[in-house]
Amino acid sequence: MGVAFKDVTKVFADGTVALDRFSLDFEAGEFVVLLGPSGSGKTTACRILAGLEQASSGTIEVAGRDVTNLPPRDRDMSMVFQNYALYSHKSVYDNIAYPLRVRRVPKAEVDGKVQAVARLLQIDDVLRRRPRQLSGGQAQRVAVARALVWRPGICLMDEPLSNLDAILRLQTRTELKRLHNELKTTFVFVTHDQEEAMTLGTRIAVLNQGRLVQFEAPREIYHRPASRFVAEFIGRPAMNTLDGRIDDGVFRAGDFALPVARRDAGPAVLGIRPEHIVPHLSARDGAVPCRLDVLELVEPDVLLFVDCGGHPLVVRSKADSIEPTEGQELFLEIPADQVHLFDPDTGKRRP
Amino acid sequence: MKRTWRIVAIGALVVVLVIALTPYLWLVMTSLKSRLDALADTPVWAFTPTLEHYPKVFLDKEYLPLVVNSLVVACASTVLSLLIGVPAAYVFARHDFRGKEDLFFFFLTTRMAPPISVVVPMFLLFGFVGLIDTRASVILAHSTFNLSLVVWMMRGFFADIPREVDEAGQMDGLTRAGTFLHLLLPLAAPGIAATAVLCFILSWNEFLYALILVAFESRTLTVGIPGLVTPHGTLWGQVAAVAVVATLPIIVFTFLVQRHLVRGLTFGAVKG
Repeated sequence: MGVAFKDVTKVFADGTVALDRFSLDFEAGEFVVLLGPSGSGKTTACRILAGLEQASSGTIEVAGRDVTNLPPRDRDMSMVFQNYALYSHKSVYDNIAYPLRVRRVPKAEVDGKVQAVARLLQIDDVLRRRPRQLSGGQAQRVAVARALVWRPGICLMDEPLSNLDAILRLQTRTELKRLHNELKTTFVFVTHDQEEAMTLGTRIAVLNQGRLVQFEAPREIYHRPASRFVAEFIGRPAMNTLDGRIDDGVFRAGDFALPVARRDAGPAVLGIRPEHIVPHLSARDGAVPCRLDVLELVEPDVLLFVDCGGHPLVVRSKADSIEPTEGQELFLEIPADQVHLFDPDTGKRRP
Repeated sequence: MKRTWRIVAIGALVVVLVIALTPYLWLVMTSLKSRLDALADTPVWAFTPTLEHYPKVFLDKEYLPLVVNSLVVACASTVLSLLIGVPAAYVFARHDFRGKEDLFFFFLTTRMAPPISVVVPMFLLFGFVGLIDTRASVILAHSTFNLSLVVWMMRGFFADIPREVDEAGQMDGLTRAGTFLHLLLPLAAPGIAATAVLCFILSWNEFLYALILVAFESRTLTVGIPGLVTPHGTLWGQVAAVAVVATLPIIVFTFLVQRHLVRGLTFGAVKG
């Protein structure tokens, strides 16, 4: 069930361009996460894949077959909605059995399949209840069970965790990962939460303003962001970026100066993740001096908000490794191999 | 302070109830009074009740078939309006097309002309197709106003159902028509019930169209009452007896669905 978006554009009736020549390819069995801020087109992409929305132009192929104009029921896909969209007039059992019945699965098999998926999702004790009698977490599981019971080729999920409280969200995240490992079904998961994306995805498609910015494994996205946008979107706290220029192998932005391996001169954006900066209390070779402005303790880490020659930077360090006081002078060791350089005009990563 | 308001509110309610219910109480009493008591110069509160008016009007004067007529007309016009109006309301709630809101408003405008101005052309039209003095003519006439009611109320009920339900149904393998038939109709059932009761009551109470369109066998109960105003005087006891019977189904139905009625009239129609 490989999926291919080919130059898909979606313009809504009010003129909003939700997708702008969006292209994306992935293989069967992947857990693909569509990640982006609100308005980036990630939900639209998911709904177009489902057939709930029609593309204005471009085509969608699934397993080499053009499905652009097929109705949702003929696409061999299921979907978990943000608000679960359970059928409130049916019992939990009938909710889960519904896709099987609509698809005319023989009666004898229905019960076995429903019981099996209910056990898998640990909801076999609430099958007789009505949706309104379920907790948020249970309703979420029922929605997932309904989407998986008939073993569709692709399971789409549109921000399925965002209505859960924080603890439940973490648990469910882990279970989705386990489900994917067990079932090997292709998952397409829409979220704006970069942490969810990083933990769940085999590959992450980062969208911005209707375009695909980067589509790679979480490690690549984190370590080699394709653009300044991805760099600042992935990771908490966000990557530090400084607008400056490179001259004679030194990056300068105001009083901030850092030697870089590159020779080509000109304006550049330097990026460094807060967790890659090593703070020291005493001066040392190559370390950049700065002043500690604010200190936030996020056990077991500590966030240091520092001022580097007029540029604010964030540093993330182990709380027990350094204990400075606010206003104190610090020296930042910035490893050259962790520095990212971006083009100031296009935002693209410099090779 | 809170207590004072409570007393004031209860007092106001009592006043409203007395104003609303006294005529009805008087009606029930009149239906049980002898002719002399009913026409007494000073209103009589204490009297020997009699049940003579009920058998006289419904059996001797053969008003019983009129009850059947009213039932048939009210039920048929309700069913007809629902059959056409509910799918129309679904389309208004879920689909977009050019001139949608204009068409929707057009349904309301059908109720803006005073019925008396419509009834004469309607009489001529039904005469043209040979439907005068049939129950079918009254059923159709009542459906004209019930249809707009159904469309306006049901659109709100459908709009209250999240769109994701349709979409989940489509993902589960239904066609668009399937989502309407198998998911939205059952989910909107309380709204349909409330709308049906309202249609039934409007048709059951309707007088003008029925008076003009039918005269003999097909008369409805409301049209039958003026027949008791004779040249020799009004038979108040029998009028009251018919009126009491005529109010029974309305009372029953209103109690059955009053919760949904309030919801339907506030949420449903306004949200549309």
